[in-house]
Amino acid sequence: MTLSLRFSLIIGILATLCLAAIIHILVVLSIPQNVQHSAYDNISGYGPDRQFNLLPDTRPGQEPLPDLDPAMKHAACRFDLQNGPVLFDARIPVPFWSIGLFNSSGETIYSLNNRTAGAERLSMLVLTPEQLSILRENPPENLDELIVLEVEQTSGFGLLRAFVPHPSKADSIDDALTEASCRTL
Amino acid sequence: MSDQNRLPFSAYSETGWQDEKLPPIIRPHRSHPIRTLASFLLVLVAAALLGIISAYLIVEREQPLDAVRLGPWAAYPNAGTPEADPYSVAIYTRGAVIPLAIGEGLALTAREDSAGRELDPTCIYRIAGQTPTARLWTLTAVDGRGRLTETLPGRTHLVSNALLRDSDGTFEIVAARDPKSGNWLPLSANASASDGLRFVLRLYDAPVTTGAALDGVSMPLIERLACP
Repeated sequence: MTLSLRFSLIIGILATLCLAAIIHILVVLSIPQNVQHSAYDNISGYGPDRQFNLLPDTRPGQEPLPDLDPAMKHAACRFDLQNGPVLFDARIPVPFWSIGLFNSSGETIYSLNNRTAGAERLSMLVLTPEQLSILRENPPENLDELIVLEVEQTSGFGLLRAFVPHPSKADSIDDALTEASCRTL
Repeated sequence: MSDQNRLPFSAYSETGWQDEKLPPIIRPHRSHPIRTLASFLLVLVAAALLGIISAYLIVEREQPLDAVRLGPWAAYPNAGTPEADPYSVAIYTRGAVIPLAIGEGLALTAREDSAGRELDPTCIYRIAGQTPTARLWTLTAVDGRGRLTETLPGRTHLVSNALLRDSDGTFEIVAARDPKSGNWLPLSANASASDGLRFVLRLYDAPVTTGAALDGVSMPLIERLACP
C-alpha cells in the first residue's frame, strides 16, 4: 500500500473511532448480563422464596435495597412459576400501599396501589398461560374476586410498599406485611 | 562510452523509477512490516480503551438518557419498562435499583438547584411551590451516590400529609443541616461538599406517571439561600 503519511493517519483515526463505537455498544449491552448483584439476587438474602419477607427499615447506612423510600416499609417475595401459580394476598391497614411485580431482569410486569386495587384487600393470582388453561377447566369459586395475571417469564419477584403514617403504627404494619402471603393456590 | 555516463543498473529494472534520485515528495512511502503491525495494534488498543472508558463514564454518571426534565427535576418514566433504552437498562441493572412502577408512582430527582448550580450538602436550600397532584408524596435527601446519610434528628425525609402549607396550598421547605422552623428537611450531619446531594421527590398514586402527562405541570423551585 502506498499512502501518504497524512492519509494513513486519517484512516487510522477513523478506524479507531469506528472500532471504539462498536466496543462501546457491546460493553453497554453486555452490562445487564454481567452484573454481580441484581435486585432479584439481592432479595434472596432476606428469606426463603414464595413468602413475603419483611425488609429491614430503610435507615442511613443500612438500606436493604438501593433507592427505597425511608417513609415506607417494604416486603419482598421471590417466586418461580415453574413450581405452580402464585397467589398474592394481603390486607394492610395503611392509607397507601402498592405492589410492583418485576421479572428477574428487573422489568416491571404489573403494578397497582390500594386505590387501583378497588378493595382494601390485595388478592392477585400470577400464572403462566398453560397454568391458566388448566385452571379454567376447574376454576376456584373466588376466581372473579382475584386479579388474574398471565406472565410469560416464570421467575420474578413482588415488592410490597406500605406507607408508615406515624411511627406508632410501625408494629401493626410489620405484622400485616409478615402476614401477607405469596403462596401456591 | 565510459562507465560514468551509464545509468545505474536499477534504473532499467521494473522498480527502477523508485530510485532515490526521485525527490522525496513523489517517492512512494513503503513502511516496515513491524511498523504496520504496531500501528494496527495501536488502533486496536486505542479503540478498546476509548470504547470501554466512554461506556464506563456514561453508565457511572447514573443519569439515564430518556429523562423528562421539569426545571431542576428529572423523572425516568421508562425505567424498568421494555421501552427503556440500553443505557438506562445498564444503569438500573448495575445499581440493582427497583424502580417505582407506573401503577405505584413516580420518582423525580434533582441534582441541581433552579439556577443550575450543583446541590451541595453544606448549603441551605428553600424548596417552595407546589407539586403535581398525588395522593401522597415524600421528599428525601440523599448523597451524590443515592444513599441516605445520617442527619441530626435521624429522619431523612418529609411527607406531604405532615406539611405546613399556605392558605393557597403551596408549601415552603427549608433543607439544611441544622434545625429550622417550619418544614425542615434535615441534610447530612457531617457531609463535605464533595459528598454530593440529591433531592428525591416520590409522588405516589399520581396521574402524571406517564411522560406526556408531565408536560406543563408545576414543580417546586429549589433556591440556594446560603452557603458556608
